Amino acid sequence: TEAIDPTAYKYQFQDDPYLAPRTSAEFKLFSLSQESGRSAAKYFINSNPKFFTKDFAEPHIPCLMPEKVSLLLEEVSEEALKERISLRKVKAAVDMYDQLLQAGTGVSMETTHDLLDLICLYSDREPVQEGGPETEDVVRQEGWRIRRASDFLKTIWRENNNAERIFNLLPERDTHCYSALIRGMIRHGAYVKAFDMYTDMLNNRMTADVRIFNALISGAPEVREKYNERWDLIAELLNQMNQQKVQPNLLTFNSVLKALRRCGSLARTQALHTLSEMKALGIAPSLASFDHTLAAFYKAASPTQGQTDLLQEVMSELAGSSFTCQDPDDVLFFSNVMRICLDNKDIELAYRVQSLVEAGENWRLLGDSHQQTIYYGRFFSLLCMMEHIDVVLKWYRKLIPSLYYPNVQGMRDLLQALDTDSRLDLLPTIWKDIQLLGHANKSELIEELLALMARETHSPEVQESFAVCALDVKSVFNGDRGTLSLEWSTSALCHITSLLLRAKRTQEAWEMLQLFKAKNRVPSEELMNEFLLECHAAGAPDRAVELVQLSAAFCLPATPRLAQQTLKDFDLTDEQR
Amino acid sequence: MAEQREDSAVLKTSEGGAAPQGGVTVEQEVGKPTQVKGDVAKSGKESLLGLLGAMKVEVTNKKKLKNLKAKQRYEPAVKPNPAALESTISMFQKATAESSAHSETLDPDLVAAASAAASTLPNQSQAESELLRQLRRHEAVTEAQRKGDMSNLGVIIADMKVGRRPNRQNARPANQIRFDDDGQGYTHDRSITAELDGVRRRRNLFSGKRLGIFSPTTDEDKTPPPPAKPTIWDVDFANHLVLSTNQMPRNGFEEMIQWTREGKLWQYPVNNEAGLEEEASVPFHEHVFLEKHLEEGFPSQGPVRHFMELVVSGLSKNPYVTVQQKKEHIAWFRDYFQQKTDILQEADVYLN
Repeated sequence: TEAIDPTAYKYQFQDDPYLAPRTSAEFKLFSLSQESGRSAAKYFINSNPKFFTKDFAEPHIPCLMPEKVSLLLEEVSEEALKERISLRKVKAAVDMYDQLLQAGTGVSMETTHDLLDLICLYSDREPVQEGGPETEDVVRQEGWRIRRASDFLKTIWRENNNAERIFNLLPERDTHCYSALIRGMIRHGAYVKAFDMYTDMLNNRMTADVRIFNALISGAPEVREKYNERWDLIAELLNQMNQQKVQPNLLTFNSVLKALRRCGSLARTQALHTLSEMKALGIAPSLASFDHTLAAFYKAASPTQGQTDLLQEVMSELAGSSFTCQDPDDVLFFSNVMRICLDNKDIELAYRVQSLVEAGENWRLLGDSHQQTIYYGRFFSLLCMMEHIDVVLKWYRKLIPSLYYPNVQGMRDLLQALDTDSRLDLLPTIWKDIQLLGHANKSELIEELLALMARETHSPEVQESFAVCALDVKSVFNGDRGTLSLEWSTSALCHITSLLLRAKRTQEAWEMLQLFKAKNRVPSEELMNEFLLECHAAGAPDRAVELVQLSAAFCLPATPRLAQQTLKDFDLTDEQR
Repeated sequence: MAEQREDSAVLKTSEGGAAPQGGVTVEQEVGKPTQVKGDVAKSGKESLLGLLGAMKVEVTNKKKLKNLKAKQRYEPAVKPNPAALESTISMFQKATAESSAHSETLDPDLVAAASAAASTLPNQSQAESELLRQLRRHEAVTEAQRKGDMSNLGVIIADMKVGRRPNRQNARPANQIRFDDDGQGYTHDRSITAELDGVRRRRNLFSGKRLGIFSPTTDEDKTPPPPAKPTIWDVDFANHLVLSTNQMPRNGFEEMIQWTREGKLWQYPVNNEAGLEEEASVPFHEHVFLEKHLEEGFPSQGPVRHFMELVVSGLSKNPYVTVQQKKEHIAWFRDYFQQKTDILQEADVYLN
């Protein structure tokens, strides 16, 4: 039972069938609520430790016990400083440090390093408190867009903040101090200052360590404008690294490749050179390296060239191996690769990517659920475009809804695929799925569905099922289900009516005509013709007369023709004339 | 109807309102005026014409542009959305307007050849506009190269890529299969790629030149770096990694694995001494044979000794307390009795 069960929903929700998420909105809501429940429990435990002192567990389970959140040591001492640092209280730590300096006691180098690291990491601001009441900022395991938005609000490195002040006060500064400052500056946007500090460091004849270089390389595109200047700076940094005998690691090369993405046309050649360098040094490239390299070659918006050679080689290289996440950008690899496959319409490659995802633990590297949705969305669109409908349906059942909730565009792709392969008889089942997924209130989707159904006549059973579906749609429009009702549009009305007519549900069709009048929409001419034919077949002349009167009420140009035809085809009593 | 829409789009492609200068054949075949301006590079013209006649147009990269005799292959991409097409082309126009003026010129013969090539393709007008656009791009790049200004070239190429792919949301009907010029579709290619896959290993990926900056270290050079205490940066990085990957368990087994790692679940098979690791290193006789602690600090006879022997016998049977705690217990008693020495001597109990 190791394989994923495609008919089940995600394991984390398997508690109560009522609470199975059926749409992507429900999925988000439930995940968020689970996470916020956990955070609330943790918060409660941590803020009231006196209720949780008795320890029943044997052996002791540390993660269920209250964590030390509040400060214990109050006196001015290095211990207190260390405590504040470990609890990540930036302001309190800085105050304590100042007090220590004023009191004249020295602070050990190690503690100073830690203090500088703390300040630089948070750029002299307090970190977001985890487990606090504002849980919508801090959903831990499934990072939603809300969390991403708060990531993008990058803090800015202020002038003369505490880090710089403390740094300047230090009697001697070593590599670690510089490293803290430089990394903090790069992280928070003060790129030029970081480079100045680096020059300062070189002037003091100190060697930098690998992390400093990583940070500087990633900040290089910000301090130079032209592509070749950027590359020159990066190359110079790498040379200096070699001179100072600092060994590069995976993150070094990944930052080189990432910076190369912003170097324009130089990126292609240099990226390949960098990859060869990595291989020569024995550093295995991670998914992020391949991601950056491929991005240099396959720009998102350039016209497709049908040459997926590089991607194919990358896939051959990676085939079958299992990865762990070594770089936060690893998770972007799969969705970007699928985008490239989609742009180049290469279904074989997409299958290889999918098999890589299914190998081992690689599915973890699909990232959070937003990234997953993007990946599966692209994959599914590619399938709909390229493959026969049976294959599409097979994947449809496999992916949905256990792994992916398609959005409106995905459903439209599916409808088009059905259309291409003339499997329109499956439309009513798809309609049920659309309702389940919560897209039943999207007007363009319904329009397309109705148009597809009403385009041609089909065999009687199919027509019957279409008619049932059409009635369903009608109830959606009327808002019978308590959802937001949509505005009727002419085409929707026409389609529904003609579907009902074809299935010989005359009574309902007549009701639809009344709806036309009620909603001030004008029926189309074909519709009128169909009605007339049907009346003729049913032999109901009074209906025909009603029809003519109705069309006269709508001032349709076809009225006189309809009238004539009625006169011709039917034996009307004099009264009806 | 698609054709008409494409026509209107291509009409907008043409710049200005100048009368068509040449390409009467253009008008005959396509039926709309195509704007051509001025003079253009002659060097590439003959080769381009010959190649267009062979109907393989390939987009070349910078290096190959120097050698325009290279084989070119081209696949027209279908862009049915006219509005988006228009925006693409207008953006492209703006980009090219900013580059040198004569990059927008095309030889009329080239245009004629382009339309001749396009007319044999299924989507005639689109293919034609694509071909013309490719030609213009070639011209621009050739011009820039001939001027010898490579950085400009880079800027031009970067600018050209501004023409974004139109909004893919609306532009994908099911018939968007691209054709090779021989019209066979690319299912032809598919089977070949599967075969060639085994053959074509890492040809291009790692076999290129190296940067040549670093040299691989040998083992003697590399001293193992002192294990650094994980700084707050490392903790932050690890946190970021964990948050970005998907760690949710997929089934009950994985959930149990996760709980075991966190310590919430016992490790199976159940180990009776789980959680008592430091005690495992203490041999049992130190727990049981505690009389040796009684040798110093306590009288060797008398009620005190008797009492202490009982204490020791009780402690030796206690499995819950660590050896250290037992020693401390005994040490406490030692201190206590030594403090009370004078009382004991008064009671004549203290026999040394």
